[in-house]
Amino acid sequence: MSDDLVKILDGNTFVVSDSRGDIEASMSDPTGLFSWDTRFLSRWVLTIDGHRLNPLSVDDLQYFETRFFLVPGTGTVYVDAKLSVIRRRAIADGFHEQLTILNHDAEPVDLQVRVDVASDFADLFEVKDALEKKGEYYRRVQDGRLILGYRRGSYTRESWIWASAKATVDDDGLTFAVHVEPHGEWTTELHVAPAITELAERELRPQHRTAVRSDMERGLERWRAAAPRVETDWEWLRIVYERSLVDLAALRFSPMSLPGHSLPAAGLPWFMTMFGRDSIFTSLQALPFAPDLAASTLRALAQRQGTRFDDFREEEPGRILHEMRFGEMTAFEERPHSPYFGAVDATPLFVVLLDEYERWTGDRGLVRELEPEARAALHWIDAYGDRQGNGYISYKRRNEETGLENQCWKDSWDSISFRDGTIPGFPRATCELQGYAYDAKIRGARLARTIWKDPGLADDLEKQAAVLKRRFNRDFWVEDGGYFALALDEEGRQVDALTSNIGHLLWSGIAQRAKARECVRHLMGPQLFSGWGVRTLAEGQGRYNPIGYHVGTVWPFDNSFIAWGLRRYGYKAEAARVAAGILDAARFFLGRLPEAFAGYERTETKYPVEYPTSCSPQAWSTGAPLLFLRTMLGLEPQGDHLIVDPMLPKGIGFIQLLDIPGRWGRVDAFGRERLGREAYPRIGRELGLQPYGERRRGKRT
Amino acid sequence: MEERTDTTREFFDGLAARRSEPLLHGVTGTIRFDLTSDEGVEHWLVHVREGDVKVSRRNAKADCVAAAERGLFDRLVIGEVNAVAAVLRSELRIDGQAALLLAFQRLLPGPPGSARDATSDEGRRR
Repeated sequence: MSDDLVKILDGNTFVVSDSRGDIEASMSDPTGLFSWDTRFLSRWVLTIDGHRLNPLSVDDLQYFETRFFLVPGTGTVYVDAKLSVIRRRAIADGFHEQLTILNHDAEPVDLQVRVDVASDFADLFEVKDALEKKGEYYRRVQDGRLILGYRRGSYTRESWIWASAKATVDDDGLTFAVHVEPHGEWTTELHVAPAITELAERELRPQHRTAVRSDMERGLERWRAAAPRVETDWEWLRIVYERSLVDLAALRFSPMSLPGHSLPAAGLPWFMTMFGRDSIFTSLQALPFAPDLAASTLRALAQRQGTRFDDFREEEPGRILHEMRFGEMTAFEERPHSPYFGAVDATPLFVVLLDEYERWTGDRGLVRELEPEARAALHWIDAYGDRQGNGYISYKRRNEETGLENQCWKDSWDSISFRDGTIPGFPRATCELQGYAYDAKIRGARLARTIWKDPGLADDLEKQAAVLKRRFNRDFWVEDGGYFALALDEEGRQVDALTSNIGHLLWSGIAQRAKARECVRHLMGPQLFSGWGVRTLAEGQGRYNPIGYHVGTVWPFDNSFIAWGLRRYGYKAEAARVAAGILDAARFFLGRLPEAFAGYERTETKYPVEYPTSCSPQAWSTGAPLLFLRTMLGLEPQGDHLIVDPMLPKGIGFIQLLDIPGRWGRVDAFGRERLGREAYPRIGRELGLQPYGERRRGKRT
Repeated sequence: MEERTDTTREFFDGLAARRSEPLLHGVTGTIRFDLTSDEGVEHWLVHVREGDVKVSRRNAKADCVAAAERGLFDRLVIGEVNAVAAVLRSELRIDGQAALLLAFQRLLPGPPGSARDATSDEGRRR
C-alpha cells in the first residue's frame, strides 16, 4: 500500500482513498470503504464537468475525520483555478462527506458535479487474495437513494447512498446541476450507510458508531483527559506519548456482545478486529494508562472461549481465540475465523492479563466473574496445550488448509529455525510459550489463593510451576551458547537459534538467575542488540536477514516486553537502554512506531529503516512507549501502593507521570537521572506513610 | 415417510434435564428460539439464572430472540453448522443481547469427526 493513501476510521469501519479523496479499487487494490471486514464502496470518484480534480493538500483533522483541498484541472497545469473544492470526510455511524465548491470569480458559474459510485462487496480476505465472488449483485434507486447490493443465499450486504442537495440519481452515481454565484459557494452532504440487512443491524454495530461526530470529538478529549500526563525534558517522549494515546483511541473496537465497551484491535486498517494475542499484549502495555481496555479484552475473549473440539477452527475447551472476522468467507466457512483459535500463547496470556489487571485495579469482581474461564484456560495448558505429553506447550495445526503453521507470535513460515537455518518439524514447543505457561500458573495460584479461596488449586499450580521451571532450565538450555533454545522440535531436540524470545523468558520469570544473567549478556550484545533495539534473530544465525519479518528485524512490541523482563531481574540500566533505543527510533517516524524496523546496525544507517508493512498504527507498537514509560519509572503495584523505582536512560533529565490510575486512586511518579533516583507516590504521603522515595529525598535536602 | 430423529427436541430435553449448566456460570437472561418449518413457528424459551436453566415452549418476551429455519437448527445442535457463522450468513438472526447467544452457543457440540481428545493422536500427557 503506498504511503500517500489517506485512511480514516471508527471502530472497524474505515475508508482508504487517494490524496484527492477518490476511491478506484480493483479486487487486488486495497482502497475503499470497509465495514465489518467487507468493502462497501469500491468506487467513489468526483468529477466537475467530466474532469477529475487535483489535490492541493490533505488536512488530517482527527483519526475519524479528514479534509481534502482540491482544484479542477488536468495534469500539472491548472486550467481553472477560479474554483476550489473541499471534501470534508468523516466516519461516524457510516461515511459522510461534505462537498463544498467555492467560486472565486466575479462571474457566476454553472457546473455538472458528479460522484461515480460502485461496490464489489469484497471480503477483506478476497482483497488480499484476489478471489472471485460467488453471489449476485444488484442495484436500484429508491426514494432518491442509490442502493448497491450483494446477495448470496440469505447473506446480504448493501450500501445506501444519498445526498442532502437535489441530485439526479442513477445506477452508477449521483449528478448535481450546480449554480454558484460570484464569490459564492455550493455545498452538499453525501452519506453512505453500510447496511447488513436482516442481521439485526443495530446489534452488529459498535455502540460508539451511533454517536455523532461532536460526541466523538468529546470522546477523544475525555479519553486523553482520563490518561496520565507526561512531563519531561525530552520533548520527543511527550510527542511519542501523545501519539500513542491518540492512536490507541483510534484502535479501539467495540464488539457487538459488549455494547459501550471497547478493546484494542490489532492494527489499522486491515486488522481492526479482535486478536487474542494482540489485544492481550496491548492491554498489558496500557494497564497503567487505560486499565478499562484490559477489562473489555478479558470479557470479550472469555465470551468466546473454546468449549468443544473443532478441527477447522482449531477450537479446544478452554482455548482463547486467535482472530475473529465478520466477512463473507468467514460466514460461509471458507475461512475458519468465526472465531479461529490457532494461537497457543493467548490462553496462558489470558490468565497473566487477568492477574496483572487485578494487581493494578483491585477489581476482584472481574476475577471472580471470570473464574470459570480462567480455570478452563489453566486446564487447557496441560490438557491440550501440551499435545506431546512432555510437559511443554507445543503446536501443530489441525486445519491443514487455512490454519496457521506457526501459532506463536513469530508466525511467519521461516521464523522458527536451528542455528544453521534448518527448519524443524511439528509439533514445535517454542520457549516463550513455556514462560507464559509458568507465569500463568504462578499468577493463577495467586488468584486461587487470594480471591477464589481455593488453596488446593494454588498449591497444585505452584508445584507444577516449580517443576516446569526446573525442567525447562535443563531441557532448553543451550550449553555451548549460554542461552535458551528457541524451541524443542518434535523429537525434543533443541532448536538452537539465538533469538529475542529469551527476553520474554525474563518477563515471565521462568529463567534461573544465573542463566538470566547470561541471557542479558546476549540481549545487550552485538549479535542481538542493533543499537536501536533487540533483533528478532541474532546476527550470524543461519536465517539472519536484517529485513526478514521475524528473522532479524527489530519489533518495538517485542522490545517493550524484553525491557519489562530486564527490570524484573533487576537489570535496570539495560532496560533503560532498550527503552532509549526504541523511543529514539520513534523520532524518525513522527512519534508513531512501526510494526518493525530493519535490524541494521545503528551506526551503519544512522536512522531506523522501516519494514515495509501495510498496517499502521499497529496496536502493540502503539502500546510499546507506554510500557517503556512503566519500565523506565519502575512502576510496580504492591498491595494498595504503587512502587516507583526509576532508572532513566542517559540523557533524559526527568520524567513525571501524573495521575496514574489504579487501586490507590491516582498517584504521580517522578524520575530523575543524574541526581540519582527519586520517586514518591503521592498517596503514600497523603496516608502519612514514609515510602523510601520520601526518605531518600529527605536525606538529600 | 421415514421418521426423522428430532435433534432439536433432544437437545432442549437434555438441557432441561441438566437443570444446571456449568458453561453458563454467571449468565442470567432469557433467550427465545423461533424455529420456522412447514408446520409453522415453534418456540423454545430458555431461562438462565446464574447457570440454572429452565426450558419451556412459551412464546414470551426474551432478552434475546434468535430466529432460524427448524432444519438449520436441527443441524446446529449436532455440530454440523457453526452458530456464529450462521449469524454472519443471516441464517440465524438475532435481536436483543448478542452476549446471550454467545453464551448459549457454548453448549453446542463441535463438528462430527473433530478430534474429541486433542492429545489422543499425539500421545497422552504423562
